[in-house]
Amino acid sequence: MAPDKKIPPAGRKTVDPDDKRLKAEIDRCVRCGACMAKCPVYFATQREGGVARGKIALTRADEIGRLEGGKTFQFHLSACLLCGSCMAVCPNQVDTPLIVQAERAKLAKAKRTGRLKSFVLRKILPSRRVLPRLLTGARFTRALWAAKVPGDSGLHIRFLRGPKGERHRIPKITKPFFIKRAKKETEGSKAADVALFAGCVSNYLRPQAAEAAVSGLTRLGASVTVPTDQSCCGLPAFGAGETRAARKLAIRNLDAFLPVDGPWPTYITSPCASCAYMLSKHMVELLSDDADTARRAREFERRVVPFSSLWLKLQEDRGLPGSGGEKSGPLLTYHDPCHLKKGLSESDAPRKLLTSLPNARFVEMSDADDCCGQGGSFCISHYDLSVAIAKRKVEGVLNSGADVLVTECSGCLLQLAEALNSQKPGIEVILTSEALLRFGRTDSGAGPGSDTG
Amino acid sequence: MIDAGVLNEIGVIVGAQHLLTSPEELVLYGYDATPAVDVVRPDAVVHAGSAEEIAEIVRLANRTPFYVIPRGAGTGLTGGARPIRGGVVISTQRMNRILRIDADNLQAVVQPGVVTDQLDKQARAQGLFYAPDPQSMATCSIGGNLAENAGGPHAVKYGVTRQSVLALQAVLPEGQLVRLGARTLKSVAGYDLLSLLLGSEGTLGVITEATLRLLPLPEARRTLLASFAEVEEAAAAVGATFRAGVLPAAIEFMDGNAIRCVEDYEGSSLTGLVREAGAVLIIELDGGAGDVERTGAIVERVMREGKAKGVKLAKTEEEAEGLWSARRAVGPALAKIAPLKVNEDIVVPLSGLPRAVAGIHSIGAEQDIKCAIFGHAGDGNLHVNFLADPQNSDEVRRVERAVDEMFALVISLGGSITGEHGVGTTKQKYLSLELSEESMDAMRAIKAALDPRGIMNPAKIFPERAEDGA
Repeated sequence: MAPDKKIPPAGRKTVDPDDKRLKAEIDRCVRCGACMAKCPVYFATQREGGVARGKIALTRADEIGRLEGGKTFQFHLSACLLCGSCMAVCPNQVDTPLIVQAERAKLAKAKRTGRLKSFVLRKILPSRRVLPRLLTGARFTRALWAAKVPGDSGLHIRFLRGPKGERHRIPKITKPFFIKRAKKETEGSKAADVALFAGCVSNYLRPQAAEAAVSGLTRLGASVTVPTDQSCCGLPAFGAGETRAARKLAIRNLDAFLPVDGPWPTYITSPCASCAYMLSKHMVELLSDDADTARRAREFERRVVPFSSLWLKLQEDRGLPGSGGEKSGPLLTYHDPCHLKKGLSESDAPRKLLTSLPNARFVEMSDADDCCGQGGSFCISHYDLSVAIAKRKVEGVLNSGADVLVTECSGCLLQLAEALNSQKPGIEVILTSEALLRFGRTDSGAGPGSDTG
Repeated sequence: MIDAGVLNEIGVIVGAQHLLTSPEELVLYGYDATPAVDVVRPDAVVHAGSAEEIAEIVRLANRTPFYVIPRGAGTGLTGGARPIRGGVVISTQRMNRILRIDADNLQAVVQPGVVTDQLDKQARAQGLFYAPDPQSMATCSIGGNLAENAGGPHAVKYGVTRQSVLALQAVLPEGQLVRLGARTLKSVAGYDLLSLLLGSEGTLGVITEATLRLLPLPEARRTLLASFAEVEEAAAAVGATFRAGVLPAAIEFMDGNAIRCVEDYEGSSLTGLVREAGAVLIIELDGGAGDVERTGAIVERVMREGKAKGVKLAKTEEEAEGLWSARRAVGPALAKIAPLKVNEDIVVPLSGLPRAVAGIHSIGAEQDIKCAIFGHAGDGNLHVNFLADPQNSDEVRRVERAVDEMFALVISLGGSITGEHGVGTTKQKYLSLELSEESMDAMRAIKAALDPRGIMNPAKIFPERAEDGA
């Protein structure tokens, strides 16, 4: 197997705030306001500060020196999901996520990030020792919950308390963690085709998603490994402007997947598209210190393929036919994760796969690519906004009449499960990897369109 | 500056959380979509929740006094919502409910903050539609559309915003909350103050509710593309279409420069345009399935008789959408190639269209300025874009000369300096080309009668006179 041209290439970006590219990006905004048509934060606030045009206006206001220390400036900068919806409708494709991240990094350097968040991001998150020691068996309180998950997980950013003490529903921790179990399962396999990046949600909360990914890909004929030294992808830290913390995680992942002395897998994939996005778009910029590391980082990015893209490719490589004919089973619908559709330009593969499942039916929901409002730490720091955005989002799910909502990002999954649960319990939310295995053909078990050969 | 006591009073009226005064927020409401103008900060911004709140603020503004600047979604292109003398920006974005869609009476009652596209979508769910379709309809609000009397491609058949308005509720400049018009198609009771408010660019009142006309959604739609070697041929074919007895839902025009810009921007295989063409017309017909079949054949014949090199009928909804998205891409495509894009929305009587297009091209050639023309040819409304590099001061001067000459040409053809963008601040200096001093004085007298303290959206539309002061 060789990397395929069809798979989206890794983009070249930088977050150096002094970079000319940042200024050029800011200058390309002509304030037309087209971003208002798709911005989830604007939908919820109806305010100019919510939308890309406004955030950019703030970054280039003459008073920038005075404004950037101000609370309102920080608020508007933090109230962005980095979902890229604005970029997708912008006539000039202004990269607002890049601008917001760069400005956040400036603030983080100047230590203006909130104290608690900063502490978690800088100290706990990159440390592998602090939190495991706090492990206890209980999940009665948030602190105890947090203690079950190692400190380097981005989950800590997701499930912190809101500013007024609001609580997100805390998912149940599943032990043993996926990666530890996976070690045994894949031990001995020669491991060359696909290396699986589990991501924090699959590792700690939802091992069935990663297990389904391993089983499914294996049945498609790939040899699958789960490198045991992998960490959090670093997206929560990176999005918050905590570049140093993100760097530590990036190095660890680079060494785990592309060890200096090999062997290297052909593909790296993850059941979570946000992890895949982080790993295929930001490794190089985080790891460009020496030539060898930079080269490996480039190789790393090149090998990362979104889960459904890879599944579809493996299926086509093997010449497996798509499943046609009569369909029965539960009605599925699909939510486009921003990091998959807008970040990695993939929206066809999951639909192709889901519509060809023999044991489920599929219906498209309205505004399937509207952001769910999760956005890493956004759902904590802007709890009310996040809830409002999710509420609007799940209307589409409810109107579709679907029994099961499928998505390919664990952040979206947690957010939508919580929102659906509060409005209409009973609609299940699962990841693509789970859907493909569960509703695929069971005779050989290789998912949609499998044959027995 | 507005003193703290007054701000406090405003906060009591709208609720403190809807009053914004931080320097950042003032920057955020110091611009609209007008290109190449500075941010001018207001003294405060309020997100009003009701007509009564707005009326109270306007009365307070008269007592104090301070300026008030009504604002919709901030997508205007001539600076109508810019608070150029400071004051309080009154945003209606929070008042964004569709109060009623009354299918029996073919009308909708909406608050001003409703996004145009949302109204149209809701109407379509009931087999109706809202006809005015400004380019920015995915983001602009009804209040702004009314204040600017916005147009759009379908104005040729369905008229501009004015033709879709039955009644309004508005706060006049002294704070009176009034209802204008009636919930009927016909009403001649008293002066037509409703029409006066439409297109008044927020200088005569704040619109707080509108009763809008909806129409039955046509059964079928058909889109054709006709390509011509010469721009004048395309322009002449527009008039010929009407003379053949066909009223299309839209006739859009793109000249060769606009076509090639879009082709480069979109990737040529996607657009379905003809790269070598001197100009194209995109013609949309709507009506019963049989009607569009019949009129489609007539239009095809008219185009061929008008020397069209090729006429292509979109066979599927996707092909039609492809043509429309090519048309919509012109603006962004031009913005991409030229940092300074002077976009003027002139309009001429249909018979003047060929001379206008040819004349503007030769003005561009004389001044050695690249120009691209596109727009709503069906109603004579053209968007003329002179492209320049803002760093090149000589080029910028030549653009200014070209614009002056173009407006003179437009007026000589019996046209208007603005078809749908309004005058705002950016076209003030050209207004006297079209309106006599006497006409402007009459308008100023109306303004003074309704707004004796001059508090509402000051320094817009009319050029400043020495005695006006600042």
